[in-house]
Amino acid sequence: MTDYTLAIDNLVVERGSRRIVDGLSLSLAPGEIYALLGGNGAGKSTTLFAILGFLPVSSGTLTVCGHSPAASPDAVRASVAYLPENVALYDHLTARENVDYFLKVADCTRSRADIEQAFASVSLAEAAWDQRAGRFSKGMRQKTAIALALLRNTPLLLLDEPTSGLDPAAAADFHGLLEALSARGVSILMVTHDLLGAADTADRIGLIAGGRIANEWRAQASGPRFDLNTLHDGFAGVK
Amino acid sequence: MNRSLIIAAAELRLILRSRLALVGVVTLLLLSAIAAVTSAVQMAETAQARAQAQIETDEQFKAQPNRHPHRMVHYGTYALRPVGPLAAFDPGVDSFTGTVVFLEGHRQNSATFGAARESSDLLRFGQLTPAFVLQTLAPLLLIFLGFATIARERERGSLRALAAHGASARSILGGKAMALGVVALLALAPALVALGWAALRQPHEGGIALLIALAYAGYLAAWVLGIVAVSGIARTSQGALIALIAAWALIVVLVPRAAAGIAGVADPLPSRVDTELAIAADLRRIGDSHNPDDPHFAAFKAETLKKYGVTRTEDLPFNYRGYMAQEGERITSQLFKDYAARADAIRARQSGWLGWAGVLSPALSVRDASMVGAATDLMTHTAFMNAAEAYRFDLVQRLNGLQATAVSGADDAARSKDPLADRRTRISADFWKTMPEFEFNAPSPAARVTVMVPSLLLLGLWIALAFGVLGLAARRMERHGA
Repeated sequence: MTDYTLAIDNLVVERGSRRIVDGLSLSLAPGEIYALLGGNGAGKSTTLFAILGFLPVSSGTLTVCGHSPAASPDAVRASVAYLPENVALYDHLTARENVDYFLKVADCTRSRADIEQAFASVSLAEAAWDQRAGRFSKGMRQKTAIALALLRNTPLLLLDEPTSGLDPAAAADFHGLLEALSARGVSILMVTHDLLGAADTADRIGLIAGGRIANEWRAQASGPRFDLNTLHDGFAGVK
Repeated sequence: MNRSLIIAAAELRLILRSRLALVGVVTLLLLSAIAAVTSAVQMAETAQARAQAQIETDEQFKAQPNRHPHRMVHYGTYALRPVGPLAAFDPGVDSFTGTVVFLEGHRQNSATFGAARESSDLLRFGQLTPAFVLQTLAPLLLIFLGFATIARERERGSLRALAAHGASARSILGGKAMALGVVALLALAPALVALGWAALRQPHEGGIALLIALAYAGYLAAWVLGIVAVSGIARTSQGALIALIAAWALIVVLVPRAAAGIAGVADPLPSRVDTELAIAADLRRIGDSHNPDDPHFAAFKAETLKKYGVTRTEDLPFNYRGYMAQEGERITSQLFKDYAARADAIRARQSGWLGWAGVLSPALSVRDASMVGAATDLMTHTAFMNAAEAYRFDLVQRLNGLQATAVSGADDAARSKDPLADRRTRISADFWKTMPEFEFNAPSPAARVTVMVPSLLLLGLWIALAFGVLGLAARRMERHGA
């Protein structure tokens, strides 16, 4: 169990009287990319919030690197980098100041050179490093946030609709970055509507419906990674 | 570094980089500094003017020519309330109660020359003093600077980002409160300088100046904690702003006005006219010293004649007119004291009502503590009026005594018909120089501290309440994943 970066077993999360996640189980090995697909209200984002400890777990087990969010929220958050759909940067701070601020909050010490290297590795234009984030496009915000995740060097990365609003080139760059992170051993759980993007990057794709994994596909070692028709049919079938 | 400190530093950087927030902070600082300087200059001028006027009025009294002592009783003199060293910080009721009392025989006059009565109606809306800025304007500007401190982050999603980076709700709330606290301290700084300056000039006031500073620090701390808590609880910035403005209007404007109104209705103070009519009626009932057939004074005369074993007032070893004037003044003064004591009791009960209203409004508590500490409250005014009355009574009785001992009864009786007798009743002007001068010392710092205690305790209660609401905000943020 503890070999997994993320281990979820029979998870139930309720919001008020509504059961949003209902018996969800999944696990991520180090370096694995898992794409969680599903319709609106299927429980994707709720699962991410439960992992982060933002929502209490009603029943089942959930651990990140062996820590439960309820019992050890600090340990869990130290192990997770989270990119929301709309990356929340401070508009009055520059990219460098934003990253520096969040790193300080996360109690991570990184040098100026480390930060610049991270920016370079996510292809954030040098001119943007000391520009206030208020002028950034969505892609630049994503890159800044990914740079932050790289700098935090956490074993688990949670992504909520990471490519929505990105142009195809930026989305392709982004997937390249994820593969690089995966190669470094970072486990990635990605919540998305982007079937093609998921098929391009993920090692496994899970289809969530009614708060649980309704179907799951594993990437093929040879040939096309996934049968897109099967994925499409599966996705259309539960929508 | 502590997470709260990191968040506080970021919040301060936001204030520095936001033009609107910066304008707010600078406005607050300017208002506070201008209030401290103008109030200090104004009160220094007032203090000097009153001290000078007291000297001049004393000199005029002593410079009177040879006169009949009873003429001097009616000539009278003035008592001016001196300005304390901390009045520049908080003039309190000084502008409304009057500062000068005309002291004469047979009458107890009200204080006159209150600044609010002498100047335009605008003064009634509040002078720009450090106390007014801190009690009324500082909370409002803190609201404008802080209402969105957390609600804005919630709306933008950065609150969850902070939480995802390990910042707990408590550290976020703590950091935001620290940043707003720095702004509050900036607002407090000019006032602290003004208080420190006053304490340097009058070292015995140093302790109480510090206590006033602590009371204001506590008051602003309660606002800072409350603002951050509401911002943490509200779903939107707009909701937080509406809630906080409503709280400001209630705490700073409505409750103090309503409490004063309710206290006035529940325990009304008779008007000056009603009181004077009642005193006149009582005087008629007790006796008229100018009426030879008055039963009280007829009895008094009979008793005096019997005491000295004579049958006519002309045979008494003193001037009976002066002796009777002393008795008349004793009676009227006792009446004045009784009525004043009744009015003081009503005012004390009204102050009690207002004190308890501090449970509903920390603005009332800090205002009370501030005025008491600065010796500009109603208690100090009452002490001044009592001192003025005691001085008036003593002065008039000394003059009546001179009439009884230094003026012959025969000359006194004949002076309206005989110019020579009239001249002989005019005693030496040297007597006026022996009369004591009016002096008033405000209640001691120790006495004022004792009176301040309930207000300070209520402020402590408000700070505790604000911490409680902050705790609720923390729990709510944790429950909803920030």
